[in-house]
Amino acid sequence: MGEFRTSDRLAAEELFHACYPRLAGWVRRLVDDDDTAHEIASEAFTRLLARWSSLDNPQSYLYMIATNLIRDHWRKVGRERRALRAVSAAMPAESVYHPSQDVDVRALIQGLPDRLRQPFLLHYYAGFPIKDVAEMLGRPEGTVKADLHHARARLRAVLGEAHG
Amino acid sequence: MDEPRDDIDTWLEERVTPLQPHPGTFEQIRRRARRRKATRAALTAAGVVVVLAGVIAVPRLILNGPVGSSPVASSGTATPVQAASTGPGKLTGTGTPRPTDQSAIPTPTAPPAVPPNFAASSVTFVSTSTGWVIGQAGTPGHCGPPKAYDCTSVAATNDGGSTWHGVPAPVTGAPNGGTGVGQIRSLDGVSAWAFGPQLYATHDGGQHWARIPTHGMRVTGLETVQGIVYAVWATCAGAGADFAAGCTTFSLYSSPAGHDDWSPVPGATGLQASGGAAGSAQLVLTGSTGYLMTPGGQLFSGPVTSPAGWRTVTKAGVAAPLPCAPGSSETGGHPLQAMLASTGSGLALLCAGPASGNQQAKTLYYSADGGRSWSPAGSAPARGVAMSLSGTPTGPLLVATSSGISFSTNAPGASGALAWRTARGATAPGGYSYVGMTTSDQGVAVPADVGQDAVWFTYDGGAHWRESPVR
Repeated sequence: MGEFRTSDRLAAEELFHACYPRLAGWVRRLVDDDDTAHEIASEAFTRLLARWSSLDNPQSYLYMIATNLIRDHWRKVGRERRALRAVSAAMPAESVYHPSQDVDVRALIQGLPDRLRQPFLLHYYAGFPIKDVAEMLGRPEGTVKADLHHARARLRAVLGEAHG
Repeated sequence: MDEPRDDIDTWLEERVTPLQPHPGTFEQIRRRARRRKATRAALTAAGVVVVLAGVIAVPRLILNGPVGSSPVASSGTATPVQAASTGPGKLTGTGTPRPTDQSAIPTPTAPPAVPPNFAASSVTFVSTSTGWVIGQAGTPGHCGPPKAYDCTSVAATNDGGSTWHGVPAPVTGAPNGGTGVGQIRSLDGVSAWAFGPQLYATHDGGQHWARIPTHGMRVTGLETVQGIVYAVWATCAGAGADFAAGCTTFSLYSSPAGHDDWSPVPGATGLQASGGAAGSAQLVLTGSTGYLMTPGGQLFSGPVTSPAGWRTVTKAGVAAPLPCAPGSSETGGHPLQAMLASTGSGLALLCAGPASGNQQAKTLYYSADGGRSWSPAGSAPARGVAMSLSGTPTGPLLVATSSGISFSTNAPGASGALAWRTARGATAPGGYSYVGMTTSDQGVAVPADVGQDAVWFTYDGGAHWRESPVR
């Protein structure tokens, strides 16, 4: 099985050039590392191309996969951080403060529950309309709107604390 | 979003900077995708994209067990224990978790831990690294709230079983008559189904599960490939863990994998064993073709992407009989007397004779023409009672029995009778209820005694197996 038809390959290549930079940039904001961002964006495209013929909305799939990979990366980093702390009790906890930012975006988004984080990332970060996000997540539009509202409320509260 | 924009929007948008790919990235991605497609095709050809396991479901008594049944905390600080005691994320009637406490932002932590005492009953792998296992965890009777015996738990691995982490699970218990679930399949790590006898679906990687109404019928089998999912729905009378006992009428249903829209497959409803006796059915999907072994001992087959195109397999204009009929089922719903598997370019069928102690005749047949005709392929070792048959993309077969696992060193069809060897390291007491190969080299087995709290892996085609504790 395997090789793309020419038309599929051209379409895939077109999508790659149109979407990769934005997707990778989107990922970088969340993982704070260029190499990891490339790794995740490449993996998302690999999975997309591997299922190319059976997808109705490749871009949605791309971002859903990337969202899951980012989540996995956060989990892995969390595990490593905990392991490091376990072997080095004297090591100070990692600061969530980055000099270049008023608040660590990644830590805030990471702190959202999954059901709020997914629509938040897809809508606010990836730029998908609510209708598309609802379809991607299999939730009613009203639910997505409510989730986004809750997510914003939480972030607003934390921002308030950070600035206060 | 309808609400007015505020500083959060500005804050989010100000740091968007595209990241250009390195030269050659697309070609590299394309090559990787091609390899994965080839692997998946081989994998589905063996009928093992999804890996199943039988349920041997005697609830275990465990001391001090926190819970498993409640959905494991999906993020943040809640441990499974906390999730159970406070009930966040419990499914409502529509299967949508209620939002958790909105007043506090959880501290980012590692992924949720696997609930303790995880008695794995079924496993599904979507690649060599990513798989999910379902089972019961905690202490039955103390798994709620809200209901005792809600102990179903799900764990996942992203490193081929080296480590496991908790995933939210359907809020239900072990198979018990018409309720509970004990088996799991996933198409791609995003859409997955927990079933047997009830049916639950997730389309967001397990974060939320919705119960699918089955109109009183019990789901005894389910497989998915190529963006579509098929399931066997049956009318059964079995009680307790034997939910698939006393099944008299079977129907094949299908749904697009991405959402829940189940409908019967034309021509595959109301299937019965001869004389209306209790029977079983088995579903096998390859990358292109699906097969249903009917309780009457025939094959119903068609293109996986077109449920309307399925037909009874015929030879010379009449239904082609299988060498043996599936007979009754074991606890998890799998047939005990006939086991079908896709292997290499054909189908393999194991016909199991009556068990005598720990001995049982196991006769193999092979079909290279989609089940129209069958040729004898020798016998598997008599030791142990057969529980599961698996093929591999390159042809060799594996049989899980009450005594362990046997593997053939050759493929059926070309070289006469199969030659068999006993696998090393497959030492679970009571043997294995399920064996399935993800690739020709890598496979997984589930112990018949789920109290092992582990699954077993092979990385050399079944010759050697290694235990992977689910914790």
